[in-house]
Amino acid sequence: MTTVTPQIVHLSSALLPLLLIFPIAALSALRWALRTTDANGDREERDWSIPAIDATGRADSCLHRWDVRCKIATLLLFALLTVSLTSLWPTLAALLVSLAAIWLARLPWRNALRRVAAMTGFLSMFLLIMPLTAVTRPADVVLIFGQQDWFTLNLRGLELALLVSAKAITVALLMEPLLATAPLPRTLEGLSRLGVPRQITLMILLAHRYIFVFLDEARRMATGMEVRGFCKRTDLDTVRSTGNFLGMLFVRSYERTQRVYAAMLARGFNGTLPDREEFSLRASDGFISALWLGTALILLAIDRLLPTGVLG
Amino acid sequence: MHISDGVLPTSLILGCYAGSMVLAGWSARRISNDELPKVAVLTASFFIASLVHVPLGPTSVHLLIPGLVGALLGPAAFLAIALGLLLQSLLFQFGGLTALGANALMMGIPALCCGFFFRHLRGTTRQRHILAGALAGGLGTVGSALLLALLLVSAGDDFLGVAKLALVAHLPVILIEATVSAFVVSFLYTVKPELLRQQPFIPPQKLNV
Repeated sequence: MTTVTPQIVHLSSALLPLLLIFPIAALSALRWALRTTDANGDREERDWSIPAIDATGRADSCLHRWDVRCKIATLLLFALLTVSLTSLWPTLAALLVSLAAIWLARLPWRNALRRVAAMTGFLSMFLLIMPLTAVTRPADVVLIFGQQDWFTLNLRGLELALLVSAKAITVALLMEPLLATAPLPRTLEGLSRLGVPRQITLMILLAHRYIFVFLDEARRMATGMEVRGFCKRTDLDTVRSTGNFLGMLFVRSYERTQRVYAAMLARGFNGTLPDREEFSLRASDGFISALWLGTALILLAIDRLLPTGVLG
Repeated sequence: MHISDGVLPTSLILGCYAGSMVLAGWSARRISNDELPKVAVLTASFFIASLVHVPLGPTSVHLLIPGLVGALLGPAAFLAIALGLLLQSLLFQFGGLTALGANALMMGIPALCCGFFFRHLRGTTRQRHILAGALAGGLGTVGSALLLALLLVSAGDDFLGVAKLALVAHLPVILIEATVSAFVVSFLYTVKPELLRQQPFIPPQKLNV
């Protein structure tokens, strides 16, 4: 009986800097792509801009015409099946499906890119750390550069990090067809037809609505602080001012909460909103759902049949 | 820091979803049905609060505020946090849709614990309130960081390195979070102490309906 040992590949240490260049270049390319597409390009402004998730909700495409209930159920299931994949190639195929969906629905690429950019911090942590720290198993390929045997790269770790990233990007891209192809109230109505309690969908709708109101409030307060000479630094005064800022935000939103609720009661609010949406299922809705789920199941079958191995 | 899609295995995803649904249901049952819209509106303000960045040397950190939400909302905190995380993933892709259950547990359980501690430690004086607020803010972040590391490690032993790094990255946040929370509580103690009684849903003057 032969024991399987990790396959060790020795490389010249001159290749070492190349490893750093690649992720840094990819990261800054993404940052740059978003920076140039940002409307005002103001760095301070970036944290405060909240994208409208259903701006393209009233456009027309095969995904816009797809029944909302079918769409939610199918895409959630597709996302779940995607994150169950265990090898890289089927996951990349699922990523292509996500990209195709955005293309078919004629959604703006910028929003999709913004979603991917939001995850770069978390994912680059995986991409940088996993090759260094993955547990060395038999049949792994380990790279050693020159004589520095303290610095080893495990290719299985890299593959795992790539797999995680591919899955995360696939599901992130799915959010665009899921949310941007119908107005938000209609999406939420579809959600409650699928069995989510109406109180919950109402809470999502209200919270989403008031995020923009409180954002305005916070912006006004921030402007007031700036006018009075507030400048962010690493010191206790900044933290104290931030604490007061948050406290004031909570006080104002608490008072607004009371007013909003009184106004809702005055207009006859009885716990849920009246339901105005009409839904009808057609054969094409079922066909599109079957197409999505069929693709996901085929990918899962391929995934389970493929031998697992480095970049396999 | 939120877990993104694709890290956790399917069994863990489903388990975390089940767990957070149970806790959200419990949280919703602790408050009356009429108050759910108010929790939703307050959640929007916590959402905005979580966007605030505090400078830290050359970089800046954003607040997680699970401890503060727990201190202000008590048992309703879990529902508010789950809702806030759902919106963060819908709007910004902070945390993923499939990881929502795990993220809700990661932030919500510390929030519930901090709410409990705050309720029992705040006492009646300003000093006690500030101390309890700082403790809630700090412990909320510690709890979230530990649960994040635990979830990562239970996803596979290959993620151990990432889990360690995530823990280290949270260390400065803990200090800032505790200080900010102390200042928020001190401000609210002066300006609107009824917000600190964890029953912000009973209007000062009972509405006659």
